[in-house]
Amino acid sequence: MSIVKEIASAVEAGKSKVVGGLVEQALKEGVEPSVILNEGMISAMGIVGEKFKNNEIFVPEMLIAARAMKKGVEVLQPHLAKQGVEPIGKVILGTVSGDLHDIGKNLVGMMIEGAGFKVIDLGVDVPPEKFIEAMKENPDCKIVALSALLTSTMPALTSTIKAIEEAGLRNTVKIMVGGAPVTQAFADEIGADGYSEDAASAAELAKKLFKEATA
Amino acid sequence: MRRQPFNPEKELKEIGKFRTFPSPMAPDGYLPRYDRPVTPRENFLAMLKGESPQWIPNFFYDIHTFCPRVIPDNVARGMVVDGEPMEGLKKGGLDMFGVEWEYEELVGGSMVKPGNPKCPDICEWEKYITFPDLDSWDWAHAAEVNTPYFDGGRPVEFTIFSGLFERLISFLDFEAAALALLDEDQQDAVHGLFDKLCDFYDDYIGYVKKYFPFVDIICFHDDWGSQRAPFFSLATCREMLVPYLKRVADSCHKNGFFLHLHCCGKNEMIVPAMVEAGVDMWIPQPMNDFDYLLRNFNDKLVLGVQPPELKEELDEEGVKEACKKYVESTLVASKPRVLCFASSALRKYPSVAKMLDYLYPISREYYSKL
Repeated sequence: MSIVKEIASAVEAGKSKVVGGLVEQALKEGVEPSVILNEGMISAMGIVGEKFKNNEIFVPEMLIAARAMKKGVEVLQPHLAKQGVEPIGKVILGTVSGDLHDIGKNLVGMMIEGAGFKVIDLGVDVPPEKFIEAMKENPDCKIVALSALLTSTMPALTSTIKAIEEAGLRNTVKIMVGGAPVTQAFADEIGADGYSEDAASAAELAKKLFKEATA
Repeated sequence: MRRQPFNPEKELKEIGKFRTFPSPMAPDGYLPRYDRPVTPRENFLAMLKGESPQWIPNFFYDIHTFCPRVIPDNVARGMVVDGEPMEGLKKGGLDMFGVEWEYEELVGGSMVKPGNPKCPDICEWEKYITFPDLDSWDWAHAAEVNTPYFDGGRPVEFTIFSGLFERLISFLDFEAAALALLDEDQQDAVHGLFDKLCDFYDDYIGYVKKYFPFVDIICFHDDWGSQRAPFFSLATCREMLVPYLKRVADSCHKNGFFLHLHCCGKNEMIVPAMVEAGVDMWIPQPMNDFDYLLRNFNDKLVLGVQPPELKEELDEEGVKEACKKYVESTLVASKPRVLCFASSALRKYPSVAKMLDYLYPISREYYSKL
């Protein structure tokens, strides 16, 4: 098995104690850092996401794989920086105003990070102004991801999108929404660009929207 | 249980009252009592013991929920149902382990604000977690003020909030709790904590028996899934939760209580774990496959089955037809043992409320022939 494949299977299996060593070994063998990242770790997280979507694995397995990837990235980061390898894009993420739930939002953040994005996580109970402030601070960010778990906080998805529009920033980003009570129909109704029903699909959606935004 | 033919004239006649806690459904604190062949309690307990009931019990009439404020968790979780005045009761605050819960009026429930867990490292839980002193709560006062509300006609359910996984989440936050179930460096600590929790729950359930002997069912609150799937696999559940849930079930059973597992989420995949642990009843949320559950598990545990969403206004015949279909759908089980649970979201539709009125006569007619 090639070292890159070894890294991929270690990430997928969540072996955080060995991933760092394998990345070091791969670097010593002269494997390009971007290859280690893309073919070793991001592709492994893609498989993890697919298995999660199909209920072959569950939240703990996904968390443990993400933790393993993080260990590998820690070793890899200085080498990526030296070569000027950047994340594929930025995503601003948060649970909307009035809603304290962070489970879904965190899983989405983890999978989007696993897909190669830099995630700017604003946390929970995030007012529209905070999203707008983050967008102004990160003008290169192309995606805003909004989460709501409660039917009572779904209107905050609408008002956040409206506030982004009123700030004149709507055309600069793609907005994706999700959360237990949210549906594709609701996402369409409030003018979001995308909706996904689970964390793995959110990572795929982010890639698709990013492509559209940068086309 | 002796099954008599359905006699509508006799059985729909009001012959008295059941005392209950005042609520929007019973503002004066009484519910009508009808001339039924057995009491709602006898019907329900027979079902929990393994028989098909004489009629399908309705969760809001045929069961008496009891969540006294003497238990700090009931106040913290915003779920107090008892005989003391509700005015001035501040919901939310510290639970029995000193974890802070924030009550959300709109939702009617509480959550722990994430980001500052009480126990930052499960491997050191003994350093951060102090077990409650059961003797420090005024059980005697709670027994004195609440006992008069229980007349033995309806089964009484006492809720224990934050079971095992929920308790772990309240200590660690969700992600750390989920990870700890699978991480071999943390699993021993989780086993140690759950073991100690089971000792505590055993004592706690003993106190419930001592002070509230009228209780029949312990509702153990432990959510295991999201709207799309369980949080963890059946294998993880069997390894990390079943041995301890079984101990809770044993604690209930040795005290003469049945165990109702309150377990939100699309959890069909892990029902075998509930059965193995000795759970007597589960009310699945609507996203679960009821037909599959009834066919495969209704001989092993009582299932709560949601009535259909009757949002549009149906005429009398339409409602009766919907009720008939509902009752017939439960008969796919070889030995149906079903509780009708209409969530508050459903009960806002007048046609659903009407359907619940028809549930007794229609299910009684069908079930008298089983």
